[in-house]
Amino acid sequence: VLVLIRSPMPRLRSLLQRCWGRLERGLWPGVFGGQSPPWGPALAVQGPALVPQGISDAGESSAEVPSLLESILWMAAPKQRRTIEVNRCRRRNPSKLIEIKRNIDVCPECGNLKQKHVLCGYCYAKVKEETRLIRMEIHKKEGGPFNAPTVETVVLYEGEKPTEKDEGKRIIERASKRPSWFVQD
Amino acid sequence: RWLASGSLFPLSCIHTSTSLQKIGKWEKKNRIVYPPQLPGEPRRPAEIYHCRREIKYSKDKMWYLAKLIKGMSIDQALAQLEFSDKKGAKVIKEVLLEAQEMAVRKHNVEFKSNLHIAESQTGRGRYVKRMRYHGKGMFGMMKISRCHYFVKLVEGPPPPPEPPKTGFDQAKEYVQQLRNRTLVHTL
Repeated sequence: VLVLIRSPMPRLRSLLQRCWGRLERGLWPGVFGGQSPPWGPALAVQGPALVPQGISDAGESSAEVPSLLESILWMAAPKQRRTIEVNRCRRRNPSKLIEIKRNIDVCPECGNLKQKHVLCGYCYAKVKEETRLIRMEIHKKEGGPFNAPTVETVVLYEGEKPTEKDEGKRIIERASKRPSWFVQD
Repeated sequence: RWLASGSLFPLSCIHTSTSLQKIGKWEKKNRIVYPPQLPGEPRRPAEIYHCRREIKYSKDKMWYLAKLIKGMSIDQALAQLEFSDKKGAKVIKEVLLEAQEMAVRKHNVEFKSNLHIAESQTGRGRYVKRMRYHGKGMFGMMKISRCHYFVKLVEGPPPPPEPPKTGFDQAKEYVQQLRNRTLVHTL
């Protein structure tokens, strides 16, 4: 298992390792002008990354033309540490602050807060709970999957009788009072 | 807490309250007691300090929410936090509700809506360093950050927002600075 100890230039080492890995797999044949990879260790070049440790990883020998490899090492890197003042200007810029929302209203039914284009959370939770109970009743009546009837369903609460309109429909009995928001046609 | 001194064990008079390691400075601010006000003085508005420690969230991300809330009335702040998508919004909402209840019960505040947020700050909590495993056997050290959140509620309507500084004001200040210059170490 390769566990890297922190060398003086860890990023350079990791970059070189990646380059070397790519070279080994033949994914970078264009660098050496058509030479057949893999090739043995050549001269060690006066690169900026000469670390004398030869650990178990593959030796980092370089190309014949030093300028090719050195050109790979020119990656964008910050020159100076960004001061805390500069950092604050960027982080506290008004475009990054959270905007206050002006689309919050009061729900006329329950009095909780709601967004204008969204259903009231409290009322929705109430309805969701009621539908959960109705679904439990339906599940008890059907008794298994794939038993849904082809006729409509009517939900009746305590003390309600099916009317003429509910002739051929399936009736689900709920053993509680009808909630005020569930209007019976 | 205090048992009768006629009990069997002589050491029972020592109070066995749970001693927290350190009672933070913000919590101690609730304990100051002012001398009673003279009849002619204007009424001192009630101040309530509340905080929550070691919230599992980043202090920089929490700062944006604290900045959002800063000068608002408590109702407006709760409305904004309820519809914010951030994780810290839920935590701060709980803190505000706790503080509001504390204000009504213990700090003699008459109307719970008559509060506004004078200060809201975040602080750095204890960080823990952990290993984060990358591919190919590489690893990095990550820090699990936590933060504190402090809020100060003051009774009364929120203060009006300051008008933004115009160019004219800045020019006036500049001219005033020029006029204040004097000669030093001379006659």
